[in-house]
Amino acid sequence: MGYLFLIPTMTIFFAFAIYPVFRTIYLSFFEYRLQFGNLKKFIGLTNYMKMFSSERFYLSLRFTMLFTFLTVSIEVFLGLIFAQFMNKNYPGKSLLRVVVLIPWAIPTIVSGFIWRFMVDDIYGVVNGILLSLGIIKEFIPWLSQTGSATVVLLVADIWKTTPYVSLLVLAGLQNIPRSFLEAAEIDGANGLKTYLYITFPLLKPVLATATLFRLIQSFKVYAIVVALTNGGPANTTEPLTLFTLRTYFDAGNYGYGAALASFTFIITVVIALLFLNIILKKVDI
Amino acid sequence: MRQPRSDFILFYLFCTFFILLIGFPFFWQITNSLKIEKEIFELRWMPSRIILNNYKEAFIRQPLLKFLFNSSIISSGATVLALLFGSMAAYSLARTDIRGKRLILLIILSVSLLPPIVIINPIYSIIRSLKLLNSHFGLMMVDTLFGLTISVWFLTPYFQSVPMDLEESAFIDGASPFLSFRKIIIPIVTPGIFTVGILVFIKAWNDFLFALVLNPIRARTVTVGLKLYESDNYIPWGTLMAASVVIVVPLIVVVLLLQKRIIGGLMEGGLKE
Repeated sequence: MGYLFLIPTMTIFFAFAIYPVFRTIYLSFFEYRLQFGNLKKFIGLTNYMKMFSSERFYLSLRFTMLFTFLTVSIEVFLGLIFAQFMNKNYPGKSLLRVVVLIPWAIPTIVSGFIWRFMVDDIYGVVNGILLSLGIIKEFIPWLSQTGSATVVLLVADIWKTTPYVSLLVLAGLQNIPRSFLEAAEIDGANGLKTYLYITFPLLKPVLATATLFRLIQSFKVYAIVVALTNGGPANTTEPLTLFTLRTYFDAGNYGYGAALASFTFIITVVIALLFLNIILKKVDI
Repeated sequence: MRQPRSDFILFYLFCTFFILLIGFPFFWQITNSLKIEKEIFELRWMPSRIILNNYKEAFIRQPLLKFLFNSSIISSGATVLALLFGSMAAYSLARTDIRGKRLILLIILSVSLLPPIVIINPIYSIIRSLKLLNSHFGLMMVDTLFGLTISVWFLTPYFQSVPMDLEESAFIDGASPFLSFRKIIIPIVTPGIFTVGILVFIKAWNDFLFALVLNPIRARTVTVGLKLYESDNYIPWGTLMAASVVIVVPLIVVVLLLQKRIIGGLMEGGLKE
């Protein structure tokens, strides 16, 4: 009876997730192009060799890794600080928690367009404010330069996701028994010491979970880039997901695209393995 | 614990900073959707006269109403399916003595972490061979997959928390597991199912990658539709902001009405061990 109840879920999982993963890995060993119809030719590791000798791949990988590292570390850092405030018991704290939900709830593509509007070189309010404060002398074309475009992407992602990370940290904070903190205070520990020796160590499992999820999510960044830069200028902000998607559907190169997708898969597995003990703890039933 | 006065001031400084930081982009989105083009260009803080023309344009330039309809059908369909199948799976994981529960949960967690790009091309081929590209049902199935990772994950511990003896007394009275599922468990867990349903709905509504790849021509969703306001070298910012307000209003209403449940759900999701 129990097994029967699992059939619909498992069918969908096999058809739309498990089979596709193996199919992608399988196709990565073939020369397989949309233009040639269903013709497939086994070519071993050639697609991977092509990938590792492609400058565009390295450019894309470097951008994706930089983006992932910076967003996740800044979000976790800010999340720790914000959660500390959200955990205070003053009037208005529930308003804070509602505000946090809104960036999380809206589509990434929408927040991307709002940010693109704000940093537009002619219509943008960011240039307007900086100009009137005298910080800049003339309008900056934010999205046409690699450096500033990357900064805008980072800010837009951090703006959207930090509130969610703060909520996760807050859940961890509220899970710490009050008696621990009171005992530390009685023993004469000051705020900072209590935080470093009691609070922070007890937050580690929650932080590790948040980091795991965010690393994997951030590595697959896509929508925010499509809304803001579309990979430009000159592919310098093109994440792996966008590069792979273009290889698949613009170039019609299914074999090479599959190799790129398999690479993303391998990176994801490596990240997951780094957090294996957390994952195994989570599936205990 | 002691709460010094400076702490109090710092809290309200933070609140102001935080609300401005999060609120400003929304403020800018809404005020500009109500301005005439000239005032958008002049970076006026508030429109001198509120106009609704941008909203009219948003519905004329693109079939926004149709996008909203498509997104509603696809997201609610995916939510219903993910809740139906997900609660069945969660029941069997939480309440029956099947083997391989850990493996099944591991699969579910792995799929929730799986980057869409890894599976997108095979899914595209499957949906194409089923002749479901550019349809409501095809995208709905894919959204159901990701919805299921949420629903099974959240509902399994929830089902476990229902006291055992309720069900046992039903069994003694001769109820089958199916009957007990329907008559005992489901009514108790309805609030939880409701919360999970919101999370699934928001995820499906916000999906962009699969919507773009599977439904680029017909049955386009709001997220794909929004991209269409942009032409090669011109973006009608007022109209685009108006369209984006229309797209997020349903979400923000849901979030504001049900904030306590959503926050509870999200926080539990991070803690679950």
